[in-house]
Amino acid sequence: MSARSTSVPSWLLTALVFGVAILPLLFVIDAAFYRETRVGLATDRSWVAVIDVFTGADYLRYLRNALGLAGIVTAVSLVVGVGIALILGRSDIGHKRVWDALITLPLYLSPFAGLMAWIALASPKTGFINTIIDAMAAVFIHEPGSIVDIWTFAGVVFVMTLFFCPLVYLFTVGSLRGMNTALEEAARIGGATPLTTIMRITLPMCLPSIVASALLVFILGAEMYTIPGIIGSNAGFTTLPWRIFEDSTSVPVHRAHAAAAGTLLLLVTVLGVWLQGRATRVSAKFVTLGGKGFNGRPLRLGRWRWAAWGLLASYVLAADILPFGALLMSSLMKFSAGTISAEVLTFKHYLGFFTSEEMQIALLNTVFLAVVTGVICMALGFMISHMALRNPTRLNRALAFLAVLPVAVPGLVYGLGLVWTFLRTPLYGTIWVLLFAYVAKFLPYGVIVSRTGLMQVHPELAESARMCGATARTALAKITAPLVKSTLAAVLFFVMLNAIKELSASVLLYSQDSEVLSVLTWHYMDSGDYQFAAAIGFIQTFIMLAVVFAAQRLFRVRLDRAFGHGGGR
Amino acid sequence: MRLTRTLLAAAASLFLASSAQAALTPDEAKLYEAAKQEGTLTWYVGAPLEGMQAIAKVFQEKYPGVNIQMMRMVGVAQYQRFMDETGAKKYIADVLQNTDYPSMQSLVDDGHILENKVPTSDRIPPQFRIGNFAYSQYTSTNGIVYNVNKLTPDEVKLLEADWKNVLDPRFKGRFSVSPMKCGVCYAPFHMFMDPKFKDRYGADFIRKIAAQKPAVYSEVLVTLDRVVAGEQDFTISGWEASAATKWIDGAPIRWIFPHPTPIFGNSWLGVSKYAPHPNAAKFFLDWLMSDDGQETMQRVYGSQGTLQGIKDDRPYTKESWYHAPVELYQVDWKRWDADYHKDMDFLAKSLKAEQ
Repeated sequence: MSARSTSVPSWLLTALVFGVAILPLLFVIDAAFYRETRVGLATDRSWVAVIDVFTGADYLRYLRNALGLAGIVTAVSLVVGVGIALILGRSDIGHKRVWDALITLPLYLSPFAGLMAWIALASPKTGFINTIIDAMAAVFIHEPGSIVDIWTFAGVVFVMTLFFCPLVYLFTVGSLRGMNTALEEAARIGGATPLTTIMRITLPMCLPSIVASALLVFILGAEMYTIPGIIGSNAGFTTLPWRIFEDSTSVPVHRAHAAAAGTLLLLVTVLGVWLQGRATRVSAKFVTLGGKGFNGRPLRLGRWRWAAWGLLASYVLAADILPFGALLMSSLMKFSAGTISAEVLTFKHYLGFFTSEEMQIALLNTVFLAVVTGVICMALGFMISHMALRNPTRLNRALAFLAVLPVAVPGLVYGLGLVWTFLRTPLYGTIWVLLFAYVAKFLPYGVIVSRTGLMQVHPELAESARMCGATARTALAKITAPLVKSTLAAVLFFVMLNAIKELSASVLLYSQDSEVLSVLTWHYMDSGDYQFAAAIGFIQTFIMLAVVFAAQRLFRVRLDRAFGHGGGR
Repeated sequence: MRLTRTLLAAAASLFLASSAQAALTPDEAKLYEAAKQEGTLTWYVGAPLEGMQAIAKVFQEKYPGVNIQMMRMVGVAQYQRFMDETGAKKYIADVLQNTDYPSMQSLVDDGHILENKVPTSDRIPPQFRIGNFAYSQYTSTNGIVYNVNKLTPDEVKLLEADWKNVLDPRFKGRFSVSPMKCGVCYAPFHMFMDPKFKDRYGADFIRKIAAQKPAVYSEVLVTLDRVVAGEQDFTISGWEASAATKWIDGAPIRWIFPHPTPIFGNSWLGVSKYAPHPNAAKFFLDWLMSDDGQETMQRVYGSQGTLQGIKDDRPYTKESWYHAPVELYQVDWKRWDADYHKDMDFLAKSLKAEQ
């Protein structure tokens, strides 16, 4: 595709990205420079909030806490996620498709629902795990005490890790399965032990994918406010995103402080996004791709088989079976209880859901927004990445960078920017404003994921088609796009899943006709009706599974093969 | 069977509707007709959703033709959204229900709320209304909510006698508190920090509460949930309406009102000056503050209405364990507005210092 032929779409796309994704960010930055009143912003300018946030000990401590937490969560997620990816991507363990599905299952649960599930499971006195263990241990010990306690810093790390491991896994296993195994074979023939081969050959070869996933997890971990906020208060620590939440929602409101803190996080995470871009760029230089996927001899686990099986089973127990079980249990209870008896059980939440017109509208809105957002982000993300990689003009590279910036801002602050952007448009108060917000918020994933897929397809293929007389558009449609079909499917899955779970922008932009399930869940949670919220959360999970199942059938691809460097096959 | 049930329900609704409409005065009937012409209204709701949905449902059954669309936004978030929309001339809200009194006062002061004298206004005490502009739908009374399986009768009596008794060594590590910035969370601490209670409570009392090592929850409703589950024995961040909702569901909880008991007007209702459906909004607000609306609220939501002289048929008031508050402490809105942030920050810092 020539520079001339892309100039018009480039400018059009830049204008679109600027209007939808960047303008809200500018509104956020602008809001940091106003004087605050008790309930919002005054009309006169002030540097107070910016100075407070950027130089004040409190805000910097909250930032340090957020980054420290994100660092620990990233490290643990890497150890577990890469470990699982090695087992499933490189070893001779059986039932890989089943394990694949189970490892990625936490993607279908919103972190907040997962947190509520783990509160039900691991509260010290009434958590299901503790009460069951207590009942068993009481036979031998007089006062066994609690075994697990979720209301601690370790609890925060644990729950967050469970949700981020699938991302590390998906990025890494794709890379492992797409890798040429000739070097590993050579190392083995040269007498290297399996462990040495993994440490010296396998992991370094997929390091860029690991780094890319680590940075994504770090960014997402640093901006998360729900889990650290709810548990953190009990564990005695506060993170910057939670402080932003409090500044935005508690009286007196500190909107300028929230905006300034959002800008601070933006600066920190822009660095992360830039590093991630570097990591994926570097990956193209030294990852050798066979084009036929993993074709070498699998690593024989031998006596380590049970240890590997134990790791996988432990993860599935902690991330799938226990939280989904607890969520289901909660959704069937009238109120929270440590022990389950017939008196506390009820179906009323599910009956209430399926007989409520409001719920049915929210259900339809949710599915509509998920599918349409997924398709738009897939198409736009692919176009932007394609232009940045195949025709890397300054404008195209800038466009690719700008499009991923919204990922760097906490959803709540970005949501306010979206409100200010769309408030004066006819879209405000309609479902379309949510669609624009979702596209702005999830386009970064479209760009990031499609970029990794496109890097697998050498430009020579499309160039050959052009030399044979195909137009740039034909080469794109007939050669490049089909080769990255599974990557595009990955974008679609990922965006749809996140759109179904999206809350922070939805809760600020929804109107009476455009309610979505996540907002309803939040309202019931916020009203203290956790059991009804659990029922909605459970239904939400089923919708996600159904949507992804349908998309997998439609595209004939598997989620695990579509991420990371598995794209293109 | 299902058809019979549907027909019976329809007949009951029809009966309810016709008898409610028959009781309307000529002016009310005229307003109802105008409301029906508008057909719908948007209610920005600040109180917990389930109870308000139940109230709206009763209204819609009694007055068919006026559909209520609810959007839940709490406290200052609602104020901000309303002000943002008003600034952009996007008029969506008809009736506002804000749980933050100062926010509603600001809206009235700045001329965003329609003057609307409800027919029952003479029976609403001054502390529960802002002129003829806004009305508190119900009162919130703070108390100690406890799990019946966790406290002995003696302990309940001890706690009921005075808030100070939470400092008894036997309660160390057994209760919870929320430093969340919300009205019901602040009310008891507003009282403790009252200069007239300086010797009885004051800052020192709050520090001593923190030294009791309570469990601290950022969300006040998580605090209640943990008592319901039995994780905590009791909470000092409790209030009657939220506890009543769980009690009605069968949760093993009860509540007591230590002396003195903070009480304040909550859920401030007003009609937006820019309401797209002003007649429907006025008709609905008139009903909410009527005997019928207030009794409905008490029955389905459990809070005490602010309208004087209404029948109190809240189910738990008939229980032997229930003792209505005897020594009421009315909040001071001026001091509330001035000290809210400072006092809650002090509480949060005191709690953190002991964690």
